[in-house]
Amino acid sequence: MIRPDLTTDQCLKCNICTSACPVASVSDDFLGPKAVGPQAARYRYPHRPPSVPSLTWCSGCGICSLVCPHGVAVAEINIQAKAEIEKRRKTYLRDYLISRPELLGRLASPIASLANKSLSSRPMRWLLEKSLAISSNAPLPTFASQSLRTRLRSKCVDTPPDPGLESDQMVAFFHGCSSNYYEPDLGILAVTILEQLGQSVIIPPQKCCGLPLQSNGLLTAARRYAQANISWLAPFARRGIPIVGTSTSCTLSLKHDYRVILGLQDDESNIVASSTFDFFEFLTHQLADEIDQLDFKPLIADVIYHPPCQLRSHGIGFPALKILERIPGLQIRLSESDCCGVAGTYGIKQEKSLVAYNVGRTIFEQAKQSEVDFVLSDSETCRWWIAKHTGLPVYHPLEIMAKAMDIV
Amino acid sequence: MTEIVVVGGGLTGLLASIFAVDRGAKVTLVARGRGGLTLSHGCIDVWGKATPSRALSRLRMSHPYRLAGAESLRTGLEFLRDLCHQADLPYIGNISRNLRLPTALGTIHTSALAPKSLALGDLRDNTPITIAGVDGFRDFYPELVVANLLKAGIAINDALQLPLPLSAARRDPYAMDLARSFDDQHFRDEVARIWKPRLSGIKRLGVPAILGLFNPQLAHEELQERLGMALFEIPTLPPSLPGLRLERLLQRKAMEMGVFVIEGPKVLGRVDGSAKPARVSGVVLQTAGGARTLTADIVLLATGGVLHGGLVFQQNGRVQESVLDLPVSYDEGRQHWTAYSPLETQPYANYGLRVNEQMQPLGADGLPIYTNLFCAGGLIAGADRSGEGSRQGIGVATAYRAIEAALG
Repeated sequence: MIRPDLTTDQCLKCNICTSACPVASVSDDFLGPKAVGPQAARYRYPHRPPSVPSLTWCSGCGICSLVCPHGVAVAEINIQAKAEIEKRRKTYLRDYLISRPELLGRLASPIASLANKSLSSRPMRWLLEKSLAISSNAPLPTFASQSLRTRLRSKCVDTPPDPGLESDQMVAFFHGCSSNYYEPDLGILAVTILEQLGQSVIIPPQKCCGLPLQSNGLLTAARRYAQANISWLAPFARRGIPIVGTSTSCTLSLKHDYRVILGLQDDESNIVASSTFDFFEFLTHQLADEIDQLDFKPLIADVIYHPPCQLRSHGIGFPALKILERIPGLQIRLSESDCCGVAGTYGIKQEKSLVAYNVGRTIFEQAKQSEVDFVLSDSETCRWWIAKHTGLPVYHPLEIMAKAMDIV
Repeated sequence: MTEIVVVGGGLTGLLASIFAVDRGAKVTLVARGRGGLTLSHGCIDVWGKATPSRALSRLRMSHPYRLAGAESLRTGLEFLRDLCHQADLPYIGNISRNLRLPTALGTIHTSALAPKSLALGDLRDNTPITIAGVDGFRDFYPELVVANLLKAGIAINDALQLPLPLSAARRDPYAMDLARSFDDQHFRDEVARIWKPRLSGIKRLGVPAILGLFNPQLAHEELQERLGMALFEIPTLPPSLPGLRLERLLQRKAMEMGVFVIEGPKVLGRVDGSAKPARVSGVVLQTAGGARTLTADIVLLATGGVLHGGLVFQQNGRVQESVLDLPVSYDEGRQHWTAYSPLETQPYANYGLRVNEQMQPLGADGLPIYTNLFCAGGLIAGADRSGEGSRQGIGVATAYRAIEAALG
């Protein structure tokens, strides 16, 4: 049982987390992860709101927990403390909306073209900024007219196949809200790659992973989503069917956040966690032989790979690199920035957007100065954000992989 | 291609990975939290107590330096120096005469190699020194430095406080904050403009180590030229910039050379039960989702000693090695671990793994426990690294020797 609050005593106050914190690096509004986290937590009654308002500047990127050599769950402590603040105030309408991408997707999909047109119009963005404090500089995703689930209806299943039926090469695809409502083409590419590698893909029932709610401190709502996902996915996991996702933030929720931040630690959540794989983790870890036999087509391009901060927290390195490196002609540079700044919904908020921009400035400038052809990143919000602030195309690494495999 | 897993992301682990990839191995570096460099002064101490080149040949045969051999130290240091030079972070010094560098407490730190911006503070040079703090930075007191250096008989001019062109800050700046400001050209221009008139007649100026993170060499040279005097840095409280710069350099270099880096997971060793003689088959990583195995032909432990998590000192009086529970050389009974006074040599400092000349951990019978397991750095028994001033030198020499022995 991992209890973030019990790790505060392991903090030596060494400030490694502070020096690595992307937000504290660019803003002195934020005291830093140590100061508002393990340090302040010592003076905090359990389940009381923290007395440090500066905490709300934490973007939740998780770098602090990652770099801590002593096992302090810094980010987790801070997210839980943020939730205590949130519990005691009325949720902003803005936060209510931006933390429910699934609801938005469901509502807007049927009127996708109208919704996209109006959301991309300047007057509308001005209005959103003035009324809801949604930054007019932040990229908003576009809705697809047909969801992934509609397009791949034949692959959607309610329960795993009956025991006795072959499930050896079977993969359960966790598409998340983004692949379902915003970028279904990406989801279809992922499924096609898996199928070309001999897997049979099924799509289990699922809701939004709940991470946007969690990041906004709305843990009770996030927990409801989490519980639904766990109860739907656990039967697949029990049958030994790996759960694979292309969004590194959704998969991190399934692996880690449900258990450690939302406190849902039981056999079901554990088996879901250990059966969940990031798309490239799955390819390099479980399908290494199949990957070795692939012949990639050359792709002449100079690119930057920006690993999302949420991917870092998986503790698996950057597995996409192992595949990208094998594509002839592809020149890969690593992002100079640990975080692009957007951190899911953080950068969308008007009051945070400048800090978020400054967090990502290193990668924006690197992209512009190095004159690369495009940028690669695994997480959708990072891609939209980097594209917005560099003007460059930003792809998921799997789109490039698909190209090199001649899948269009 | 030989596959090697290096455990530990400090100086030793990073260098070992670079040495290994340079010899054509396929390297995965696994690190739980950032390594010791973040907390280090960024210098390479080889033998602080006396002239390294003379002292080392007189050590007892069980000392890590003797086991690794003088050649390993020499070649390893040369390699490191070239690496730093190419990456625009030149290191100055050699092992036939130690540099004498002022510390933030006004004591004298003897070290073999130091970054150029620190080495210019060498007290063997008689150019008079002035020490300056900067307004708002509470981790550095020039008066303290000056008072203590005067006590030690060092001719020193004066202590002064310099202003910085910062807007009203909401919190005390960390060294890291200031360093990021110094990365900015406009900030440096402004600093040079304000400082210049206050520094007339000064030949050599010592400031806290805050002169840039991303491009410190440029920041240092430029300021030196603009101010028209020798300018040197003094490392501050951890996390200290010179250590962070070296860490960043080595991390990026390792990744550029093709080392696959996994940050985050706790690591446990995996033994091949059937092999005779005994072998390790790889490691198990505690990733966010659960345990993932990583097979390897060779495993190298660079997990450090008691300060860094390689050795765990337990309540029950046992000292345990953290990855494979290897036999540790230590005194039974907690009362024997520490000396009477904190200023004496601490018995625990010498605890660690006994190794042979190939850097293989040895069992009670004096034979390697696993044929394909090696270790380097602070984990090795037989040296009081703080007392000797030998921490980094041992890391470099044993990392070089271990990789040489492992890969031949």
